[in-house]
Amino acid sequence: MNNTYELPLDEAGYAFGFMDEYAKKEVRRAILKAICIPGYQTPYASREMPMGRGFGTGGLQLTLSLVGADDTLKVIDQGSDDSVNAVNLRQFVQMTCPGVEVTEKTEAATLIQSRHRIPEKPLTEAQILVLQVPYPDALVVVEPSEARRKTMHGEADYSRLLVKLYEDIVKFDEITISHRYPTRIHGHYIIDPSPIPRWDVPKLHQSKALILLGAGREKKIYAVPPYTLAEPLAFEDVVFSVEDFRDALGNRRTCSRCGAADSFLDEFSDETGKKIYQCSDSAYCNERLASEKTA
Amino acid sequence: MGYVAIKGGKAAIEGAAAATDMLRAGSEYAEPLVLDAIEGQLRLLVSRVVSEGGLYHPKLAALAIKQFQGDTLEAAFALRAYRSTKPRLLETPPQNTAHMRVIRRISSAFKDIPGGQMLGPTYDYALRLLDLGLVDENPEDFRAIARRFLADAPDSELPDSFPKVLDALRAEGLLPPLKPVAGAPFDITRQPLIFPVPRAAALATMARAETGSLLAIAYSNMRGYGDVHPTIAELRVGYVPVMLPHPVTGEPMEVGEVLMTECEVVAMFEGDEHGSRPTFTLGYGACFGHNEVKAISMAILDRALQKGMTDGATNPSEDPEFVLLHVDGVDSMGFASHYKMPHYVTFQSDMDRLRTTQTKTGNDTARQKDSV
Amino acid sequence: MTAMTDLTALSIWQAHTQQRLFRRLLEAFAYPGRLLDAADSGTTARLAILATLLDGEVDLADPHGLIAPEDGLRLMTSAAAPEQARFVVADAARAPDFTPTQGSLESPEFGATLLLEVEQLGTGSPLLLTGPGIAAQTRLAVQGLHPEWIARRADWVSAYPLGVDIILCDATHFAALPRTTQIIREAL
Repeated sequence: MNNTYELPLDEAGYAFGFMDEYAKKEVRRAILKAICIPGYQTPYASREMPMGRGFGTGGLQLTLSLVGADDTLKVIDQGSDDSVNAVNLRQFVQMTCPGVEVTEKTEAATLIQSRHRIPEKPLTEAQILVLQVPYPDALVVVEPSEARRKTMHGEADYSRLLVKLYEDIVKFDEITISHRYPTRIHGHYIIDPSPIPRWDVPKLHQSKALILLGAGREKKIYAVPPYTLAEPLAFEDVVFSVEDFRDALGNRRTCSRCGAADSFLDEFSDETGKKIYQCSDSAYCNERLASEKTA
Repeated sequence: MGYVAIKGGKAAIEGAAAATDMLRAGSEYAEPLVLDAIEGQLRLLVSRVVSEGGLYHPKLAALAIKQFQGDTLEAAFALRAYRSTKPRLLETPPQNTAHMRVIRRISSAFKDIPGGQMLGPTYDYALRLLDLGLVDENPEDFRAIARRFLADAPDSELPDSFPKVLDALRAEGLLPPLKPVAGAPFDITRQPLIFPVPRAAALATMARAETGSLLAIAYSNMRGYGDVHPTIAELRVGYVPVMLPHPVTGEPMEVGEVLMTECEVVAMFEGDEHGSRPTFTLGYGACFGHNEVKAISMAILDRALQKGMTDGATNPSEDPEFVLLHVDGVDSMGFASHYKMPHYVTFQSDMDRLRTTQTKTGNDTARQKDSV
Repeated sequence: MTAMTDLTALSIWQAHTQQRLFRRLLEAFAYPGRLLDAADSGTTARLAILATLLDGEVDLADPHGLIAPEDGLRLMTSAAAPEQARFVVADAARAPDFTPTQGSLESPEFGATLLLEVEQLGTGSPLLLTGPGIAAQTRLAVQGLHPEWIARRADWVSAYPLGVDIILCDATHFAALPRTTQIIREAL
């Protein structure tokens, strides 16, 4: 025991982007391979971050390895910039990456980190979307062993997954998968697209922007490159369908705040118990409200 | 047209920080904890955090325990996150635990061993009766304890190190000879685990694993979901000198020491595939700090996993994927905690599925009623 | 996709430069065939790319001796044979005389990344490209790429997901050809 040791009391000097440069390099190499093998879960060593595993450390490591002082960052959770987790992550990036701008406007962002939603507004080639992933592997529902899953993925052997979907249909007359809808990328790997609703799955297909998915705890990075096939699993007679926002009379519900009839709606009850529907994408909602005011 | 305010996340986080700090500070008459007191009087807690954090820094571990109000999972997490920010300067050559300056060293395999059974600081044979005398401990009496112990300590010097019990077993041919392993050890902080993994990866993962997780799985093996049947050849606790080559002369020099616990268990004997004479098999456990239950659990699991990797797993404790992917405290607590985060979009999607399915089932029932 | 911030006077061995260079590499791989600029890095595109991507965790083969010894030291990579290395740097004017590793079915990411030095990008024979990252088709003109590379690459990427991924670079620019990119060579 070193009795002369003194704790340094000054703030620990963190590098730009918190992670050390070797950690970033490993992530960057994994990102490039992930793009070259669309949908393949590329393993990486995944450093611990100051927020818990499950709180977006995978997405965060992607963002920290990508971000530079030229970037404008948007962080959302459940579609909202103000959700506690999004606030926490955004503040962390601002703290560790001086010079990086932040925004709530989707179109102003060069880098978007998101949990469970893809923004309603279509992305452009000048943007990168980073999705936070709890379960990277669509096959985990039929096979607990990762080693066996890797073989199945390599051979594109998804028969057991298709059987599971078929069993659902026999039992319920429906594919009961709600979010994390298995989607085939570039005709080979089936991915878990992260817990985005089915509403957002079509946005993966032929996207103009690069989409990166990061699982920190599971230590995987995968990608849906731009202009790439992204086909949600379906059968000839049971097609893929998105969430149904129609009321009992068959009318499409609208956002009680901005009136949108084309966005994913959050449903909750107000104090009187009355059901309220609002845009999950808060930036989309705000923009519509703002343009209504000026109109 | 009413609407829900969608601002307030930042204020909520700030409020949460203020509330936890309030609870930490308690009454305005309380005294803040001194790190020395935590490091000294809660040394086993500090040992646990140092081990699970994977960073030998007892003072920072004491700080983490203070900051996170005694939550070992959070404290280990904080140490691990701190470690993430430190660049690696170099890797030491393998350190020899035979040079450990032991404070405790026992063997269950033999009645007596060269150097002797040194019970050292242990609660193994203490009575677990609450000592109410500690409630209002007199500071003078407290300070006298160490003084008295050192004054009463015998003058005769203990040897600097003690021989390894296993070396005697090896000399007799009861254990296979040590085989040098080529190449650098697997670095779990740099490479992801892609199964099958080498034994070094399993040991490194377990060395910083969460104690309860290791214990539960090892216990399952002890109770019958496995057949290690271990005997502890040696358990030693002490300070291992960290030797580095001198930058100019290349001579090994001691640059510091780390408190470690090491446990070697001897398990069922088995024959070699090549038909040569059977020997005992070995399980090895080692970790930072004074953590005996952890080291024992680790040694048992090391043996179980080696068996699983050669013969295939017949029990969860023998399955490397099952064990190694579920014992890291930072990973497991993080994921357990993440369920507290908003999941309302996914839940919305779930409700949509259930409602659609219910409607379909409702329609079928109605149709059936009509047709009867 | 990225603002072309001038990198002059910054070193390719520094964090901020590597971040900016990486973003251009990312664009090159996300949009194959697109030409990206490394002229402002103050050194060759080849070295700028290697400095950005490589460190002591990976190995590099340099069968044609394109890397100066002092740069080799700074890269910190270990040396390996071109048949095993994760990264290979080669002179594209010479026909390939090795088969790089293409990974395995379980681990296709171990397929090598080849950095091929050509005479000029943007002029010369146009390659017609299609595949992920390309809206319909795109053209990449290359001068000084031995046709054997294209022929051998077709073999190496024929068993997707196995394959190799290629970065073409001249002195100042680079473009990427992931294994998923299909090259439909235009008739001359």
